[in-house]
Amino acid sequence: MRIPFWTAAAILVALLVQSAVSQAAPGYARILDPFLLVLVYCGLSGGETHGMLAGAAAGWVQDVHFGGTVMGLSGLTKILVGFAVGVGAARFLLAGPGARLLVLLVATVVDAVLFEQLAAIFDVRAYELSTGGLATRATLNAVIGVLLFEVVDRRRRRRELRS
Amino acid sequence: MARALDARKSRFLLGALVLAHLVVVSQQVDAGGGASLLERVLFTALSPFQRGVAAVVREASDGWSAYFGLRGVHEENRRLQEKVRFLELLLQERQQQASESERLRELLELKRILPVETVAAEVIAHDGLPWFRNVTIDKGLRAGVILDAPVISATGVVGRVVAVGPVAAKVQLLLDRDSGVGVRIERSRTIGVVSGKVGFADSGTTDLDLKYVAAFADVVVGDVVVTSGTDRIFPKGLVVGRVRSVGAGSGLFKEILVSPSARFDGLETLMVVRGPADELELTEAIR
Repeated sequence: MRIPFWTAAAILVALLVQSAVSQAAPGYARILDPFLLVLVYCGLSGGETHGMLAGAAAGWVQDVHFGGTVMGLSGLTKILVGFAVGVGAARFLLAGPGARLLVLLVATVVDAVLFEQLAAIFDVRAYELSTGGLATRATLNAVIGVLLFEVVDRRRRRRELRS
Repeated sequence: MARALDARKSRFLLGALVLAHLVVVSQQVDAGGGASLLERVLFTALSPFQRGVAAVVREASDGWSAYFGLRGVHEENRRLQEKVRFLELLLQERQQQASESERLRELLELKRILPVETVAAEVIAHDGLPWFRNVTIDKGLRAGVILDAPVISATGVVGRVVAVGPVAAKVQLLLDRDSGVGVRIERSRTIGVVSGKVGFADSGTTDLDLKYVAAFADVVVGDVVVTSGTDRIFPKGLVVGRVRSVGAGSGLFKEILVSPSARFDGLETLMVVRGPADELELTEAIR
């Protein structure tokens, strides 16, 4: 019961952050994807099922609030990314900051490429990210994600030690 | 022995008397400069000490005054800086209020001349995904906002409602690649369709593509582009923008870029048209 609650809370926070950034600096919100950070963390810490479900929920929230006229593209993309991260976390040691940085970089790139390919398949007219734009998005997500994961992990460890 | 003691006493007494006299006499002798000999002697002997002490005291006093003065200046500086900051904030606030008031005045003016019912809405979120261009507004079904309702600003057409909830709605901007508005060139009455320009998400362009305009059509740079009403979503006659460039194109159609008249970089308050579009017929006064 606690895991779904915290996942939902994290998605809500991601929505608030995305909305706040889009209000404070319109245009710049596109280079950050807080929803992706949520599902990557869920995948890393909870495995493929958790990553996949978190990806579905986060993707749909993103679709509804920021997506185009066709719903579910972000949902589908993020399910795949969440699952892949979960599988990767089960097979490799991805607990260190370096590994997580790499996971976030790859996840952002895969998310964008998958989204653009799916948009093309479903004939959704969407803008494409340039290589520079994608690199900026991936770097920003990776750096912020690693820092955020570290903070969350420390809090979790402290709580576990206390209990 | 007694005699020797008396002699010493007497010499002592003599010396004392002489000294006393010297003092008394010297008190009455004007040694020049208005000072007695004693005074001069004392001045000469003690004034260096006095000067020294005075210098030390003066330095200390100056230092102390400077310290307090500096503290005062520092304090005053801090106070003035605070005041400047406060005044700057006040100025910003006043400028913001003036800008807000101007924006609302424009909207009110537009609302007054628009022959359709509109509802004002605030933008609560801008586009959060790089692939689309849309904003979320704070009005939904409860305020009478319906799906496909046209959304306009004081300067021109902004987009249409593509998703609506009870208290919020998502507006697809004209800049979105998936958008489409039936338009005509006001001067030559040439018709076409305006949509978001093909390009990279982060290119920052705000131009619109004017598509399906025949290669032989009469279109020149600067022509005003207005809604044609043929899409049955946007009322006829709303300003979309101005033609920025006209190219020959590779096929049957011209390549035309339109600069939108709506300012997409600072969307704050918008107006959502209530009621079906086919009942609307806007006048040229809107412009």
